[in-house]
Amino acid sequence: MRKELRLVVNGQPYELYVKPKTLLVEVLRDHLGLTGTKRGCNSASCGACTVMLNGMAVKSCSILALQADGGEVLTVEGLASGGELHPLQEAFLDHGALQCGFCTAGMLMSAKAMLDENPEPTKKQIKEGIHGNICRCTGYNSIIRAVTAVVNGEYKEKK
Amino acid sequence: MSKYSVIGQRVRRVDGPDKVTGSAKYTFDMVLPNMLYGKILRSPYPHAKILNIDTSKAEKLIGVKAVVTGKDTLGRKQGIWRRFPELCDEEILCREKVRYIGDPVAAVAAIDEDTAEEALDLIEVEYEPLPAVFDPLEAIKEDAPQIHDGVELNMNVTRHIEWGDVDEAFKKCDYVREDKFKCSSQAHVCMETHDAVASFDHGGKLTVWTSTQSSYYIQRLLADILDLREGDIRVIKPPTGGGFGSKFELDSAQFCAVVLSMKLRQPVKIVLSREEEFTATKRRTPMYYYLRLGAKKDGTLLAKEVRVITEGGAYTAMGATALYLTGFFSSFPYKYPNYRYDGYRVYTNTAPSSAMRGFGAPQSTFTGESQLDMLAHDLGIDPIEIRRKNGMTPDYEVPGQAFIQSCGLHECLDSIDEYIKKRGELPPNHGIGVAAYGFMSGGIFNWFDTPYAFSAALVRVNIDGKVDLFTGACDIGQGSDTTLSMICAEELGVRLEDIRIHASDTDICPADLGAWGSRETLMNGNAVKMAAADAKSQILEYAAAKMGANIVYDLDIKDQWVHLVDRPERGVSYFDMVKEAIRGRDGEVIIGRGHYTPHRKGMISPAYSFGVQAVEVEVDPETGKYGLTNVTTAHESGTVINPVGIEGQLEGAIMMAGGYGFCEDQPMDGGNILNPSIADYKLIRSLDMPETEILEIDTYEPEGPFGAKEAGEGLTNPTAGAIGNAVYDAVGVRVTDLPITPEKVFRALRDKEKQSKQS
Amino acid sequence: MLRDFEYLAPKTLEEALTLLDEHQDECKVIAGGQSLLILMRQGLLAPEYLIDIKGVSELNYIESDAREGLKIGAVTTHRAIEKSPAMKNGFGVLAEMEHRLASIQTRNWGTIGGNISHGDPAGDPAPVLIALNATLTTAGLGGTRNMAVEDFSLNFFETALEPSELLTEIQVPVAPPHTGTAYTKFNIIESDVATVGVAVSITLDSGDGVCRDARIVLGACGATPIRAKQAEEVLRGKKITDKRLKEAGQEASHEAEPISDISASEEYRRELVKVLVARVGKEALARARQA
Repeated sequence: MRKELRLVVNGQPYELYVKPKTLLVEVLRDHLGLTGTKRGCNSASCGACTVMLNGMAVKSCSILALQADGGEVLTVEGLASGGELHPLQEAFLDHGALQCGFCTAGMLMSAKAMLDENPEPTKKQIKEGIHGNICRCTGYNSIIRAVTAVVNGEYKEKK
Repeated sequence: MSKYSVIGQRVRRVDGPDKVTGSAKYTFDMVLPNMLYGKILRSPYPHAKILNIDTSKAEKLIGVKAVVTGKDTLGRKQGIWRRFPELCDEEILCREKVRYIGDPVAAVAAIDEDTAEEALDLIEVEYEPLPAVFDPLEAIKEDAPQIHDGVELNMNVTRHIEWGDVDEAFKKCDYVREDKFKCSSQAHVCMETHDAVASFDHGGKLTVWTSTQSSYYIQRLLADILDLREGDIRVIKPPTGGGFGSKFELDSAQFCAVVLSMKLRQPVKIVLSREEEFTATKRRTPMYYYLRLGAKKDGTLLAKEVRVITEGGAYTAMGATALYLTGFFSSFPYKYPNYRYDGYRVYTNTAPSSAMRGFGAPQSTFTGESQLDMLAHDLGIDPIEIRRKNGMTPDYEVPGQAFIQSCGLHECLDSIDEYIKKRGELPPNHGIGVAAYGFMSGGIFNWFDTPYAFSAALVRVNIDGKVDLFTGACDIGQGSDTTLSMICAEELGVRLEDIRIHASDTDICPADLGAWGSRETLMNGNAVKMAAADAKSQILEYAAAKMGANIVYDLDIKDQWVHLVDRPERGVSYFDMVKEAIRGRDGEVIIGRGHYTPHRKGMISPAYSFGVQAVEVEVDPETGKYGLTNVTTAHESGTVINPVGIEGQLEGAIMMAGGYGFCEDQPMDGGNILNPSIADYKLIRSLDMPETEILEIDTYEPEGPFGAKEAGEGLTNPTAGAIGNAVYDAVGVRVTDLPITPEKVFRALRDKEKQSKQS
Repeated sequence: MLRDFEYLAPKTLEEALTLLDEHQDECKVIAGGQSLLILMRQGLLAPEYLIDIKGVSELNYIESDAREGLKIGAVTTHRAIEKSPAMKNGFGVLAEMEHRLASIQTRNWGTIGGNISHGDPAGDPAPVLIALNATLTTAGLGGTRNMAVEDFSLNFFETALEPSELLTEIQVPVAPPHTGTAYTKFNIIESDVATVGVAVSITLDSGDGVCRDARIVLGACGATPIRAKQAEEVLRGKKITDKRLKEAGQEASHEAEPISDISASEEYRRELVKVLVARVGKEALARARQA
């Protein structure tokens, strides 16, 4: 029996009707067409599906959509605004913090969540912030450099 | 002041904006109207006859549109070693026999994934299990079960490389070591699993979107196995989430999606689950290594004998190449006057072992560099010194095998030597280990269609000056789209933003063998450079006439400025020139063509890149646990085209190669892979990643575009060997079978303690 | 793949217990779902009803009292515990343990009650709570029960929770004076599940005195967390020295009942117990001296 689901995703309110077994990642990707968030495993271990729910980084493959009812979700599609990239996105591009790009959405969301909570992390804290995200291409250090650059104020948002 | 205006710059990758905004559409994301979802039924037995498959119940499930088995195919066997029919031994959808746990037997297309999965449970397969064999040392015995008809002793492929006379040479050595090693398998763990969307239309044309390293190979292999015209098959590679060697053969997702689509005339999408990815796709070749190394007492190497038995798994795949390359690279990077290699690839009832980044060279480097350190230790020679004494130099010929032109190995050795000396005395339980490597920039020998490898490219200059670059090269994350665009822009004399690349669509792009063997920069780069030069010469032809230049003056284009080389201030904007040139040809666009085949470089590779890596570890002697604290690599890859790209390749390689040495493994029981999930397959994550340092050594490779050569795979070679040597340096024990886990270090330490107590 | 189920989201404990009682064997409780959903996706569990208690806010709290100690509602997330200021004053070991548990994403959503109820012998919280002498409360429609966390785990993934019961609260008493508790787990990759986990709590009878009490708990060494009581005896009533810690480690390695699996052999796990008990014991001792 389907149930009502109300979600605000990237600032946009949605009213959906979903089967209870629908995962949050399925609502985002399949129902709302926001395919930026990926899925890379079946054991909730890779982090590719990371989004922000009510301000926290979570694995959207391990949350039933209905559990997020009434909540606010931020996905990678919600980072840029009006054609302007988010500082983290700019930094990732400058530092080669992505290659195949499949882990990138989740990585960006983990990084953003971490910086939202702690705008001045140490290098170790940055590593901890993305430790739940696997990247098979970059070896992580370029990602850490990118986040560090943002922390150092190299990408002050244009007012 | 750089003499280049584009290459060598730190640029944003051309596909970057799409990827960081989540707008890049991978095969994984594709949805087509009327599309169905497919799932594959796989054998639970490592070796069995298929007696009967009853699909009737599955077909009746509401939502199921088709169920196919091997009977719905032409029953052809295919293989990536296409020119050698005896090595084309894989049907994919098995008809009579299954040969490993995971071998496909049926596929379902349904309205959604859940229905397709439910349908799998309704397919009834009657198997007659056969005795199975899992270890190659067992599989070569007389009484072992025969896996492929007519293949005695399950001996799939053998390879032999020899020069000089090792037996004589060993007699002349002051010191000879014999050692055995075991190299493990490794899973690629691409973040995007194997997937495909296949659409066969009513006009008889097939389109396949797939995560691949070679749209060219997939097109051709499908044509063979389906009896379709190649030209009626279009293979498109969307942005792809990693390859690392796992995605240039025809795989079950592609084949089953195609078979289903051909039956239904509807698009069918198959995405392999992560578990299927671990158990039923190809993996790194596990190898048993025997090495005999002989030297003079001053450390001059005189002879090396190598014997390797590999665990081939159920099919040949690219295993024959891994077998050859491991033997070839066992001679790298040193000058051996006498060398002999014998390699044996043996079929086993396990998942096929094939190509993975490094292609046999991580194994040869681990074993060779470990043994060399052991020899050096026995002779009392410094590990860097012994490498200096024997290391390859520019313009060296591997006797009868290969010709190495540029080689910066000695500069790399010097650089690492300096680094280690500067590091000074290490804290207790720390150790530094060194490993040197050399690797190819693409293979010359082509086992697929023609005798030699090749690449082609097309450059089209449009009236507004925008340049379309057409190439079959596949960007799987390594950045070939960006690197090739940079080469094109540099050669043509425009900026990176003027290039729009169209890659890996077999309908519109010239052929390229794909992204494997680290060939794209050198081989496709040469083709792109030639195409850009061709286009440029056509523009300059017009410019010469237009500008009334005297024939003695050369013209060139640089940074969007067409000018006289000797009087650069005299020129015209590239955009104006192009506009006029094209108008002057009735709107006919300017097309430049390029191609490349390596010439007179032997059969292995046109060029080789070299490097030396130093790994520092910190060992906890009470538990054997160790951390990788620092990895410093001196490497040379000719002219650096895309520096951000190379750094990425290096650091990514350390993660992958470090994992090979340290924690990644696929333990098996009865042909069953025991850890087919990311939770159980240990991978290096951010907190485990060491500090990395790159020491760039300048070299120039005449054979490469602007002097460039490979940088994607060679860097995966040294880390496991360097880790082994570092652990030895730290706590005095050597582990000879990969991965070097804490438990193995612990046991080695305890054995060492027992031995010293006894003596 | 996930099978269909009916989804119920009670807002109060009373509602939740009523639903549990109504649906008995046909239902499963989900809080963070970080363990449950994986099992369901792999087809190992297929309940007809899922009762989501994440929204039962009355079970989401951390209370700290100078005499009573900590009271943690079952639906409190790992992350909340990790970041809570209440974790100072002798409870720091809980925050440390949470810090190395899985990933931030898992900790943001997964709950302590869900973790304990799951009964994973390799879980991090249980050994620490047992070392801290923690108790817990379960509730059913008929009333509540209290027990030591130590008595809650019965076997691999089996707890003392009755079919219509919910774990509602965990209580961590204020430690006696001169008590220090520490925890570590051995893994190859950071924050990975424990190959072996060891929690030790040491109470001295004065600032630098004799060991009055010791609690040594081994995780991932058997079907449930194991109190290494003989190891504790090595320390109890004596002055703790490095030699005694080593002996305690030896003793504990015999009390462990580890298995061999792809992560480690049984033998290696025992060796790890030896080393870790001594190390964690030393850390607990240092903390006890400072307390």
